[in-house]
Amino acid sequence: MLYVKELYKSYESGKNKYEVLKGIDFHVAQGEFVAVMGPSGSGKTTLLNCISCYVPFDKGNIRLGGMELAGLNEDALASVRNTKIGFVFQDFMLLDGLTIRENILVPRIVQGKVEREAEKQAEQLASMFGIGHILDKYPAEISGGEKQRAAVARSLINNPLIILADEPTGNLDSKSSWAVIETFNNAKTQMNATIFMVTHDSFAASFCDRVILLKDGAIYRQLEKWENRSVFQDQLLDAIKEMSSV
Amino acid sequence: MSQIKNMKQMEEKLQRADWKQSRLYLFCNFMALMIISAYSALMLSPTVQRVFPEGGDSRKQMYMIFVMTLMGCVVFTIYALGLFFRHKSGQLGILMALGASRRRLAPGLFREVIVLSGVSAVAGTIAGFPFVWMIWHAFRLLLVDSSDMVLTFDFRCLFISLLFLLMVVGFACLTAWRYLKRTNIMEVIREEHINESVKELGRWCGPVGFLALLAGAVLGYGAPVACHRWFHIYPPAWMSVLYAPVFVGLYMVMLHTVVHGWKSRKKNPYKNIISRSMMKFQGKQTVNNMLVITLLIAGGCFAIFYLPTNGISAMFRYASQPYDYFYNYQADQDVPGREEVEALGREYGLSFQEWKECGYVTLGIGGNDMIEEDEQRYHIEYVPMQSEAKVLSEDAYRVITGLEVDVKPGTYLNLTNQEETALGTNESAKEFTNMVTRRQLRTEFAGYLHYDLLATADTTCCVLDNGDYAQISEGLTDDWRGRFAAFNVDGKDSYSFANAFYHLFVSSFDETCERTAYYDRVQKIRENEEGQEYWGDTDDYVIISYESADSFAFRSFWVYQPDFRILNQNDYLRNMAVMFMMFLFIFIVCMITAMVVCYTRCQSIALNNRYIFDDLKKLGASPAFLDKEVRSQCNNVFKVPSLVGMFAMFLLFAMILYANDGRMVMTEWAAMGICLCIIGLIGGFIYAVYRAAVNTIKRQLW
Repeated sequence: MLYVKELYKSYESGKNKYEVLKGIDFHVAQGEFVAVMGPSGSGKTTLLNCISCYVPFDKGNIRLGGMELAGLNEDALASVRNTKIGFVFQDFMLLDGLTIRENILVPRIVQGKVEREAEKQAEQLASMFGIGHILDKYPAEISGGEKQRAAVARSLINNPLIILADEPTGNLDSKSSWAVIETFNNAKTQMNATIFMVTHDSFAASFCDRVILLKDGAIYRQLEKWENRSVFQDQLLDAIKEMSSV
Repeated sequence: MSQIKNMKQMEEKLQRADWKQSRLYLFCNFMALMIISAYSALMLSPTVQRVFPEGGDSRKQMYMIFVMTLMGCVVFTIYALGLFFRHKSGQLGILMALGASRRRLAPGLFREVIVLSGVSAVAGTIAGFPFVWMIWHAFRLLLVDSSDMVLTFDFRCLFISLLFLLMVVGFACLTAWRYLKRTNIMEVIREEHINESVKELGRWCGPVGFLALLAGAVLGYGAPVACHRWFHIYPPAWMSVLYAPVFVGLYMVMLHTVVHGWKSRKKNPYKNIISRSMMKFQGKQTVNNMLVITLLIAGGCFAIFYLPTNGISAMFRYASQPYDYFYNYQADQDVPGREEVEALGREYGLSFQEWKECGYVTLGIGGNDMIEEDEQRYHIEYVPMQSEAKVLSEDAYRVITGLEVDVKPGTYLNLTNQEETALGTNESAKEFTNMVTRRQLRTEFAGYLHYDLLATADTTCCVLDNGDYAQISEGLTDDWRGRFAAFNVDGKDSYSFANAFYHLFVSSFDETCERTAYYDRVQKIRENEEGQEYWGDTDDYVIISYESADSFAFRSFWVYQPDFRILNQNDYLRNMAVMFMMFLFIFIVCMITAMVVCYTRCQSIALNNRYIFDDLKKLGASPAFLDKEVRSQCNNVFKVPSLVGMFAMFLLFAMILYANDGRMVMTEWAAMGICLCIIGLIGGFIYAVYRAAVNTIKRQLW
């Protein structure tokens, strides 16, 4: 589904150049729920932004659903973002002037005309994620957890190949975080969605099939979940501890 | 069910929701265009063009302040646009992140900015005309009215507004295009949170800035004077560059204000650390805005200080003149004599006393003249028939002034005012010339006599020994002879009489005297004899008409304009009305522009720092603390530019008044005192706007 090969990305600040990603290699299979963890500055968010085509990368390859993203023109990249990727931001990024229903439908509106079928799908997603009762409310009128679930519903409205989530539980309390992770789980189990999530939260990451640990712009280690969630969370914490001490 | 079915409907709904953000942009555009349109309409109106002498200082000042106002308007329009897009960028970024291509977003975005910019700009342009009409008629109604003040427009002024309108719309489209062109979507989304910090300089930059400010003012003003005085060259255009340290100095002062503040922090380095940091991280634009505000306030003060500095000396002169009525006329004119004037006075219940009359002659006087070598260079050369001079005998002087005088044969005494600041003085004459017989009288300067009514800026006035006078005036025809007359009213004077006498006086002259005081017959004869055309015969500027005897131009420039105290006192404001009203209008426009820039800057500081205020609240900051932080932010934007702008202009005026004659006379001190009072009033107005800005921001933040 998603292949990332030899990915490099650097930022320039004045005369200084900072290498943020130093040759990242990995792949994500269809229906897989993968998390990326690592300390601040390890390049997690930059990696996600490169995959989502939000920021250009220096060199390397990103293939999504068989399509090579490097070299696509602006229109083609916009089309990829709209149809092949669903993105969930840490701070939700809902449009304050639209209702939750309209926010969920934005990717469809961007495509062109909204048909009745799309509205039905939005209602289904909303009820699947427990936000059916707030569809006609505005973002300012609902909780953070509800906003993030609305954002997940929005990311799924175009049946994308992959959902990219940047710290989706970062701004939420534990109850809301749990609800959002449940939402991702539902998307994976009921819709066979592929999810690639950046997180600091080992509890959230323990729900994933696989966790990629990133350190200083390179992959430190990958862990797969073979046993139950709680054991996997312990393994993750040990690996993070080990990574921090190296 | 969703009401939104397509992109256009979504954009319209988002625009409705963002109305508050658009409102500030609309307001700024509207204000900018209204100010530009009003200013250009008034500046180019025939009413003002007629009164402001072409090539004169007042007209140059009017244009200079217009350019400054234009700059201010450009700054706050661009800044309001920046604010609008900073907010809009979050929305654009989200839509881009969700897959909206440039092509998809462009029509809606361009439609929105073109409609917002276009509608507000057109509305502002149109509103400029009723705005200026209302202000002008309020002036006429409440302050002063005259025939000069009938306001007419030359609609070619719309060209300036149209250019500005196109610039506003064009810049809005360019900014929209720049946002759409960006490839880093995360940058677009986070635009609202990006700082614009300023490069920090040491604490020396404030004091050095003040020194540069002073150096620029002295150099810029002094260098052209030095060019004339010592090098006899016209100051070249590039010499204006010498004013550059003023702007560098201003920048450094503003930078110091933003980065360091002016209070010592040695005892408590953490004091005001939050407000200073907030200011520093918004520094670049804040410093630029503060510069523009300073210039606008300085421009406004320049305009408003014009009124007292001109008005006080005139009023003082009128009040202190020894005669209620003082006039002179060419001997060949049929001007009403004493009996006729007394008969007119009786009609108004007036009787007169201390009636004085004497004759004088107009001669050619030698003097130093600026002879142009090329367009840049000139040298001073003595010219025997340089200009006209009104010449009195000792006896005539005694009669008209009541003062004793003794002039030695072969010498002359030159008339000047009490302060010796009159312009029409001549210390270098070696001879007087009878313009009819061309006979010359060798003479030399023997000193000054002080009598304000005879010391005019236009024509040199001298007193000769009785014998010399009789000798040189022999053979002169009546058009080179004249008479001075003066009298006082026995009791209370009457404006109606003065007005009736004035019009009777003017109507008694024939067309040979329908000329300005600057029209020099001696110079004309000399230049014509040298085969040159006299400038006064070619320039429209010197044309005045008896038909508009009450106009500013006539009363200011007519060669025989009489000094009737009550008429001058009552009509001073009316005569100068257009000029004064224009400067008052400039002041109003500059202050409005400056306050709009201040207000928008404070708004943007609040908008950009609202997360910091939220964090401070979460960290337990009390309302009093937050209130203090807001006030501190706004304080910097309002206080320093206002103080620097007002006092820099105050000092510049003091410098100009001092540099005119190397000292300050009583009327100049009085004018500066009034300017200080005006500074107090302006300060009060700025404080009121500051309070309003603080209250608005507080409402927005909590």
